[in-house]
Amino acid sequence: MPDAGFPVETISGLPVVVTPAEVDITNAARLREALLEAAAGGRGTLVVDMSQTQFCDTAGIHALVSAHKQAQAEQGELRLVLTTPIILRIFAITGLDDVIPRFGSLEEALTAAASGI
Amino acid sequence: MEVEGGAATAVNSASDGARLRDIQSITDAALSRLDDRELLTELLNRTRNALRADTAAALLLDFSSGQLIATAAAGLEDEVRQGVRIPVGRGFAGRIAAEHRPVILDRVDHTTVLNPILWAKGIQSLMGVPMVAGGRVIGVLHVGSLTPRQFTSDDVELLQMAADRAAAAVRSITAQADRAAVTALQRSLVPSALPAIAGVEMAARYIPGGGAVGGDWYDVFTLPSGQLCVTVGDVAGSGLPAAVIMGRMRSALRAYALESTDPAEVLSRLDRKMQHFEPDAMATVLYAVFEPGLDRVHVALAGHLPPLIARPGQPAELAPIRPGAPIGVTFRARRPVTTVPVPPGTLLCFYTDGLIERPGEVIDEGLGRLGQAVTAQSPETACIAVMGALVGSEPVRDDIALLMIRRHEERKADADA
Repeated sequence: MPDAGFPVETISGLPVVVTPAEVDITNAARLREALLEAAAGGRGTLVVDMSQTQFCDTAGIHALVSAHKQAQAEQGELRLVLTTPIILRIFAITGLDDVIPRFGSLEEALTAAASGI
Repeated sequence: MEVEGGAATAVNSASDGARLRDIQSITDAALSRLDDRELLTELLNRTRNALRADTAAALLLDFSSGQLIATAAAGLEDEVRQGVRIPVGRGFAGRIAAEHRPVILDRVDHTTVLNPILWAKGIQSLMGVPMVAGGRVIGVLHVGSLTPRQFTSDDVELLQMAADRAAAAVRSITAQADRAAVTALQRSLVPSALPAIAGVEMAARYIPGGGAVGGDWYDVFTLPSGQLCVTVGDVAGSGLPAAVIMGRMRSALRAYALESTDPAEVLSRLDRKMQHFEPDAMATVLYAVFEPGLDRVHVALAGHLPPLIARPGQPAELAPIRPGAPIGVTFRARRPVTTVPVPPGTLLCFYTDGLIERPGEVIDEGLGRLGQAVTAQSPETACIAVMGALVGSEPVRDDIALLMIRRHEERKADADA
């Protein structure tokens, strides 16, 4: 989806952003803006659904980390929905598993209690 | 050049023709053949003539200081020679930049203009417009008259046209200067010549992605104890900003390396420093400290990929090093340290993700390709094999840093310090 924005939906009271097939240096800056806006607009907590995403480079991870830090500053957190093996592996190998809470489905992410990670 | 305040007395058709020529002089395609700095000066000359003004000057915004700096001038060269600086929001030029709109002054003195050169010169009237690129003010263009004069809305329009042209030229100058600065930075920070260190042989490659430049680096140094230390890192982002952060991280890590031989402690200190001074930055870093005698290496990872290890006669494998959080992510990170035996003849391959990541692929596929290409041979031969197998003739999408270190086959008596 070239040049598609990153629409923010509100589901069960939480902002949810769905990331495209590839998150890399070409769209990470826009993703970052969308996430920071979503984090600022809600009560701090937001959900990023990466279940469609097949590629995420350092720039993409940086966008997620920035948004998570901002969410934490507002007493919230960024909840990641990760299902694809490619992205799960990237998160494991870069040591982010212990940093950003992740979930196996959107439903879990929406209903979870704050993880306090 | 001379003051020709009489343009307003010309009949309409003649003045329309003159105005068309004025516009053409500023939009002239021939200007594009000049190099950018000449273009800026020539544009100021033409603007001054077209507007029958006496002075013209361009001040560019320095984003780090929030000041406008006199960069090019016609009839007002002292402004540039003396390096005039005007804070945004103050004085004539500062107001234009802050308010993002044209300003005309019919009285030029210390109450309206900050820069004494302008009143000392005897300028009576001033007109200035913002230079805008990518939606941001990047500078101010102004013209002045030594005789009192009422600038018209047509004059403002013509000056704005010149400012738009100048903004495009400045953008290109800035991009060129950034590229030159980054290249110089990288040459000094990622030296192509590696230090000679007893007991090991080394080779490296550095390829900036997509012809641009970035924040990948590697570093090799010894501690006063003689212990060999290796760093590989990748700052998120690109261009000069990433390269500048990379430079700071590289030297901070060296400083902390002198204070502790625990790689995790060094990364924690680096992380604390980065989160305090560069709170928006994120980076992955690998830091490895060899024992004296080189028998083992202690490695800590901050979000970075583990090295590959190839022992003589065995296929290469991903060194089983426990992951740790990247730099700039969390204050609580305590990263594990993994100790890896390094028998004589072993080759270690350190790299950044640009070498192995391809869209639509699990990272293990790239790691697999790398593992096949790496064997316990001379580091230079190994670099050639890896670059050939993983990069080949594909255009490089991301920065690549690659560093190979091989322990000599036979123990060197002089290796233990």
